[in-house]
Amino acid sequence: MRDPRVERLAGLMTGYSLRLGPGQVMRINGEESALPLATALYRSALARGALPYLNVIPAALDEILLADASEEQLAFISGGEQLQTEQVDAWGTIWSSSNTRALTRIDPARRRTHLSAQFRLVNRLWQRVSTGELALCGTLFPTQAHAQDAEMSLAQYEDFVYGACHVDGDADPIAHWESVSAQLTARARQLDGVRELRILGPDTDLRVIVEGRPWIPSDGRHNMPDGEVFTSPVEAGTEGEIYFAFPSIFQGREVEDVRLWFEGGRVVRADASTGQDYLRALIGTDEGAAVLGEVAFGLNYEIDRFTRDILFDEKIGGTMHVALGGGFDEAGTKNTSDLHWDLICDLRADGEVYADGELVWRAGNFLIEPAVARA
Amino acid sequence: MPDPRLEKLADVLVGYSTAIRPGDVVRIEGNPPTTPLIRELYRASVRAGAHPTAGLVVDEAVEALLEDGTEEQLDWVPLDVRWALEHGDVWIVLDGPENTRHLSGADPARMARRVRARDPYQTRYLERSHRGEFRWVLCGYPTEALAQAAGMSLSGFEELVYRAAFLDAGDPVAAWERFGARLDLLGAFLAGKTELRIVAEDTDLSFGVGGRTWIPSKGMSNLPDGEVFTGPVEASVEGTIRFSFPATIRGRQADDVRLRFEGGEVVEASATRGEGFLREMIGMDDGARRVGEFAFGLNDAVTEYTGSLLLDEKIGGTVHLALGHSVPGTGGENASALHWDMVCDLRRGGEVYADGELVYRDGVFLDGASS
Repeated sequence: MRDPRVERLAGLMTGYSLRLGPGQVMRINGEESALPLATALYRSALARGALPYLNVIPAALDEILLADASEEQLAFISGGEQLQTEQVDAWGTIWSSSNTRALTRIDPARRRTHLSAQFRLVNRLWQRVSTGELALCGTLFPTQAHAQDAEMSLAQYEDFVYGACHVDGDADPIAHWESVSAQLTARARQLDGVRELRILGPDTDLRVIVEGRPWIPSDGRHNMPDGEVFTSPVEAGTEGEIYFAFPSIFQGREVEDVRLWFEGGRVVRADASTGQDYLRALIGTDEGAAVLGEVAFGLNYEIDRFTRDILFDEKIGGTMHVALGGGFDEAGTKNTSDLHWDLICDLRADGEVYADGELVWRAGNFLIEPAVARA
Repeated sequence: MPDPRLEKLADVLVGYSTAIRPGDVVRIEGNPPTTPLIRELYRASVRAGAHPTAGLVVDEAVEALLEDGTEEQLDWVPLDVRWALEHGDVWIVLDGPENTRHLSGADPARMARRVRARDPYQTRYLERSHRGEFRWVLCGYPTEALAQAAGMSLSGFEELVYRAAFLDAGDPVAAWERFGARLDLLGAFLAGKTELRIVAEDTDLSFGVGGRTWIPSKGMSNLPDGEVFTGPVEASVEGTIRFSFPATIRGRQADDVRLRFEGGEVVEASATRGEGFLREMIGMDDGARRVGEFAFGLNDAVTEYTGSLLLDEKIGGTVHLALGHSVPGTGGENASALHWDMVCDLRRGGEVYADGELVYRDGVFLDGASS
């Protein structure tokens, strides 16, 4: 039997995230395991008068490529991919891994060669997003592999995912996300006036300067689920220490109990209980990798647990996250790096955040509601 | 562990059928059941130095488009397909359906419209393929649905398909090369003839082939394969033919089809089942009443009717005739939205005369023809 939540998620993506209109060309990307959602997106796009097509591939082809291809093959981008990157109006991507650790034993240098070629396309897509030519949204279709990472049964994990996307009930998910968008936008405008944030929590006392940097609401246009506000901090302004209670994951590898110490905006010490070498190697990627490119509040309270997937983890209601490495142009960043690694700090038990000396957040919640502008 | 026969099949498709070279841009597509072979083809292409991309053909999307699509949507050809046909080097399509009758309820007019929208690209890739700029192959992949349609188990059907693809030969590529050389000789023999006459039970059909080109189909664009075909001189087809096997197209079928031709056109058409459908197809356009192809099926590893045209038209000892569009390269001049192959079994009592001389009997070319 079809899961009605899959159709609601598809309708939410085409109707709200992508605002798909008649005649628009939509590419739907995913692996074979995502077929139920991919076909639901296709149907939903057809119903909106758009011109959808599927780019659904068998799982684990990249494993074959990374194992057997020459350097030149790894870096190859076909003219067809370039053409689609330039011409498509809407880009919907479904993540649905059959094994989230399939690539962990691959030579990292070969993987970088492949990824950096792919990033050229991805960067071009985001450029087109920023000029308003392209709508782009990524979501996840629940699989056993993701459920396993989350330490749940598939049925429990499905409830979790569809709950976080707000497509699990009879209520109109589009109305929900429009109201979330209004709240997050109001919160971002409120934070725009802040010069300095001070984050206090277990083994954490970090000062981050955000003066002059615009805050951006993540309201379900580019990710589903969504729910955060973020900016890129002033590069030299970060001081103090921060502890990350959740495991920090980068490209499938976990680092536990990460602690970072900052001076003059740069990491000066980095410890971890497991994976410390990996942590330090990542921070040593390049100049910008030791500097924060992002600071954000996770505000989706339907995401109430850690599941080892950044799509959800960075939005856990009551957490904050910072990212080491490259920041966001639209947030005024000056930091560039090949790294962008989100690390999540749980502030739900006894965290506090001060904005220019005033307590604004305690135990995972803002203390004052922002004034929401009526649409 | 993947079926070791798939690795061999991939070697034939990559090493022989499409002869993939370093730097080739290759598109591999098939229905979801074909993913084990897609994976082997992807691996073989990477190892051959090519740049493969793969995509799944999703029947449910096609069903939705045919059911709900607007005319604009039916007429639209996706960017990736267009690019691959206009600029790609190699296209491998795997036919491994989950349900051979999933389009039985679809509107034939809407199906025809969708096919017509792809005509310009089809013409382009056939031209490119004719100039040697593009290589494509359609490969049958055994699935439960095809086995069911053939009335056998999946493992039995797998054996049939893989035997027909010569995978049981020690070196399948060498077997295809030898077989191809035989078909080339047969093509050369037929090229010298001007008129053919087919005689069998309820069948006596004559047509001209003078000036037309016979093309040996030897595992390059179909796998399994094994036929030699041409486009008969359109106005010359005269007489009657009765097809031994059900004629299927677009998920529908007509049984025991009999056709009578006068001056190259069908003047009588009957079927014991699906006669209405048969007439509807023949009435589709002017070209649908004329013959676009005549061929000898020559793969002796295919011995029984399975309901899968890719195999049935290759059965050693049969001939087939297609109503509708001519195949480029044969010299055939018929144009139609239809190309409907129908198979006539000549293995028991069938005869073929070339310019009045008996050249083929009981499904076999007589000495001097094929060697």
